[in-house]
Amino acid sequence: MAEKLPMTHCSRFLLPPTKTGTGNGSIPPAYALIILNQRIPRFTPLLWEHAKTRMCADGGANRLFDNMPELFPNEHDVSVTHERYKPDVIKGDMDSIRPDVLNFYRNLGTQIVNNSDDQDTTDLHKCITYVLDVVSDDEKSNLCILVAGALGGRFDHEMGNVNTLCHFSTTRIVLLSDDCLIQLLPSTQNHEINVLPSVEGPHCGLIPIVTPCGSSTTTGLQWNLDNTEMRFGGLVSTSNIVKEETVTVRSDSDLLWTISLKKQA
Amino acid sequence: MAEKLPMTHCSSFLLPPAITDDGNGSPPTTYALIILNQRLPRFSPLLWDHAKIRVCADGGGNRLFDGMPELCPHEHDVSGIRERYKPDVIKGDMDSIRPDVLNFYQNLGTKIVDNSDDQDTTDLHKCITYILEFFSDDRKSNLCILVAGALGGRFDHEMGNVNTLCHFSTTRIVLLSDDCLIQLLPSTRHHEISILSSVEGPHCGLIPIGAPSGSSTTTGLQWNLDNTEMRFGGLVSTSNIAKGETVTVRSDSDLLWTISLKKNSHEGEEGKPNDSQLVSLI
Repeated sequence: MAEKLPMTHCSRFLLPPTKTGTGNGSIPPAYALIILNQRIPRFTPLLWEHAKTRMCADGGANRLFDNMPELFPNEHDVSVTHERYKPDVIKGDMDSIRPDVLNFYRNLGTQIVNNSDDQDTTDLHKCITYVLDVVSDDEKSNLCILVAGALGGRFDHEMGNVNTLCHFSTTRIVLLSDDCLIQLLPSTQNHEINVLPSVEGPHCGLIPIVTPCGSSTTTGLQWNLDNTEMRFGGLVSTSNIVKEETVTVRSDSDLLWTISLKKQA
Repeated sequence: MAEKLPMTHCSSFLLPPAITDDGNGSPPTTYALIILNQRLPRFSPLLWDHAKIRVCADGGGNRLFDGMPELCPHEHDVSGIRERYKPDVIKGDMDSIRPDVLNFYQNLGTKIVDNSDDQDTTDLHKCITYILEFFSDDRKSNLCILVAGALGGRFDHEMGNVNTLCHFSTTRIVLLSDDCLIQLLPSTRHHEISILSSVEGPHCGLIPIGAPSGSSTTTGLQWNLDNTEMRFGGLVSTSNIAKGETVTVRSDSDLLWTISLKKNSHEGEEGKPNDSQLVSLI
């Protein structure tokens, strides 16, 4: 049986862009940002700086419009913030975005893509499809899609977003809230997670969301898995603690990796 | 193959206690309330009224202490509110509860049960175990455990709470937040869910948590399932709509049922329905 290829993960998008020259020859990721309809995380301006494409899924535009100025309390001219943080695209079925917000961004040149005819996929799904369409093939291999406002609110929405993550299993997608991030670790690869202790951790977990897992093995955690079974109703690794700067994970099943984000960073 | 026994579900705990007498001879539900360490839902006073036992899981004690006075804005006697909403038990590893809150409730007679030696189970798990030990066997058959503050915050905590729901699959447990509720629908039964449209819906979903489902069938939804497969990475029923007064579900796999909770209900003084709620019940 062929050894699985390694896949590395690093939350560089939580550090300022100037600090992320890796200096080791590896190509930095091409980031895209999607804003969903929940409270935007406090580090959204940092995600915005990293991203080449910024889009809002429907009511995510309300959140951008209302909440971004709150993240710049020293800037008294709200319209400056509104114009600086102008999304490239607003996409979705347009049943949540306020008319005043839609008009504001349309007048600034934001592309509006109305999908109200498609009821079968989540707004997040539609946005990811759009990003994959606009990004060139070479950029796709380094693409990482950041999703702000992915958690909170209705549980069915959260699970819909997690399902979208699982659907696009060959694309790097990070779901983000103020409290934590979530990424899919496909079973087809072995994973090395480089933890940045200044901005994330130590609380973490591994979730067998798709099917029970017969065998998972980790290093770098307080309670490591060692060829361990995991299933809902039995053992699920939650409230675990990152102990080392690198966490490795291998599993026979797709897992969700989740780690807490630090408040003061 | 034997037909599965029906299991009925009804969010009566979201209506004032006086209105929820079935009058049809079935024994009333015995409610227990567990408060976890997230923002207290705005209808917590109503849950409190229904419950025979009220337990805080560690930092849930802080949420009760800080949050309950905010939910009773017409009352100015804050310490009076805190004394009225005194939990029977505070249980967990005590690493989140503030010392002043712990002392306050301890002095009022709340039982404090320190489990800091047990790192293997969630605080919710420990509280459910406590409640199951507390009730006699005949009351257990009608027991329904309400969990406030079950969602929000860290995703691993949410999943830990969902896992606890799956672990206690033969106990009725409802996870509650301001926005929605979650219940487990075990595959061993077929399910009839009564929708109380004054307080819940219409947004709902069915989630194949932890294992794909080969076949699920529903009635009463906008997009019904008909012997349909569900799995993460494929079809999961989210952003569905409850269309009627009853939703039925049968499946070969345990599913989570989730439904949105309405914002404009539960306002006014705690425990008393507001005018629009009374009108919709007539």
